[in-house]
Amino acid sequence: MNRVLLVLLLSVCLLAPGIGSANPNGVGAGEFDAQCGGACHGDADMNRSSSAIITLSAPNEIYEGLLTSITVQIESVETTESGMLGVFLLSGLSGSQDTPADAGWDIVSNSEGNAFNYLEIMVPNGRPTVEVTWTLKAPPVGEYSLYGAVHHGTEDGSEAPFYGVSPNALNVNVLQVPEDLPRLSPSFEPQIQRDIGEPTTMVLTTEFVTEVSIEWRTSSENTVTIQATKDSEDTWSFELPTSIQPGMIEWRAVMSGEGPEQTTPWFQLRSDEPAWEVDNMLVYMQSFAMLFALMAGFMALQKTLSGPEKKEDYGELMIPPGGEY
Amino acid sequence: MVSSNTFHVVSTELTVGSFAMAGLSFLLAILASRNILGLQSRITAIDTVAHATLFFGLIAMPFAIFSGVQSSPGGDINHPLLVNKMLLSTASLGLAIGVLASRRMVGERVWSQPYSRELQGIGGMAASGLILLTASIGGTFSRGESLLDIFKLPYETVPLMPLWMSCTVLVIALINLRTALQKA
Repeated sequence: MNRVLLVLLLSVCLLAPGIGSANPNGVGAGEFDAQCGGACHGDADMNRSSSAIITLSAPNEIYEGLLTSITVQIESVETTESGMLGVFLLSGLSGSQDTPADAGWDIVSNSEGNAFNYLEIMVPNGRPTVEVTWTLKAPPVGEYSLYGAVHHGTEDGSEAPFYGVSPNALNVNVLQVPEDLPRLSPSFEPQIQRDIGEPTTMVLTTEFVTEVSIEWRTSSENTVTIQATKDSEDTWSFELPTSIQPGMIEWRAVMSGEGPEQTTPWFQLRSDEPAWEVDNMLVYMQSFAMLFALMAGFMALQKTLSGPEKKEDYGELMIPPGGEY
Repeated sequence: MVSSNTFHVVSTELTVGSFAMAGLSFLLAILASRNILGLQSRITAIDTVAHATLFFGLIAMPFAIFSGVQSSPGGDINHPLLVNKMLLSTASLGLAIGVLASRRMVGERVWSQPYSRELQGIGGMAASGLILLTASIGGTFSRGESLLDIFKLPYETVPLMPLWMSCTVLVIALINLRTALQKA
């Protein structure tokens, strides 16, 4: 019975790190409500207010079904020693059902190269202000509110989870698309990731467009402008330079037509090493196989080599060992 | 509450320290069993230290493995180094259990019989070596370098068997284990 209790106690200890972890390395990017993403950071009973000042900005005109960008600017950033900062784009502050997707927005990409409303960034030491940008497909015509929020730890190692939210909502008025407005096709989905060394040809589908030029930039270079090639009616293509190391390239299209010239938001294209994947089932099965094979093999070999235990030969003793007459 | 990363460091240090001590003790045990350096009179003490430290390392090892998986990025095995760590640590775990179980089955006379004593010592040292190799991979993963880098070991190469082969080996091993236990 005591052994069972010991095993249970050890099992609880084994699970404790996972249950009680404070996630100092973050939880990874994802689609999170404010409450879920931060866990204890979002819990009003446990968190403390962040000193960060959060403001949002958006273009003046946002059209139904078209792509637009929302930028969240964070000032007076305070983080842990590692510089990790979690940033949310939210459609409400209820703590539940408050992602942009819940209000009809469709996130296409963000400045970290993924398509989630929550991302984690590393803030370099001493940088007072950071900006994060989301590219979204606008919801149907109407009035919408968006909020930015952050959560983080502190450099002094205090255990409190910090949470901050923009004091005012960004009120967005989504408009009906003018008839002849040059624009990307509603079905267009920009590529947001590619492997290093992979040549990239982007294909654009448009409406009411007669000419397309592309502007692209990397963080360290000036903007380069190229002309897109017309493949067919409303289909254009252009090539982006192949990357030779992990990084980000941003591009946008400037579209001309009968209506007023339109510029798309910046789209992010992230280059990474080809992802390494393995079937975890294979790893676990081989681990178990090796564990038992080595254990059994060693025991069998040792048993064979050591041979049977020799019995003591007491000969013609009159008195049996350890006994009486 | 302590994070899985910190818990992994603690449990790893316990495991590696215990196994390093055990490895050295098994080496001394082989020498003592062959009466080299006049150690034969110490064989009982060395035998006890070797197996006790191996047993302690064995208790700490599952904690190190599980906390290691939890503290890896994404809580998953998604890197060649992590896969090799998993394979090497479980191989060491199996070998260490085999060494301890054999010692329990055979008794102290394991050090008095030719071949048997060498096997016991080499088994214990191999288990320790595998753990040290695992720790070295951990250093390469977290810091980008480790002491064993001078040997240019192929850490990034993952020797994975097909599922059917792993299952076959597992079944054969279990039958073999049953036979070994029956003999005992």
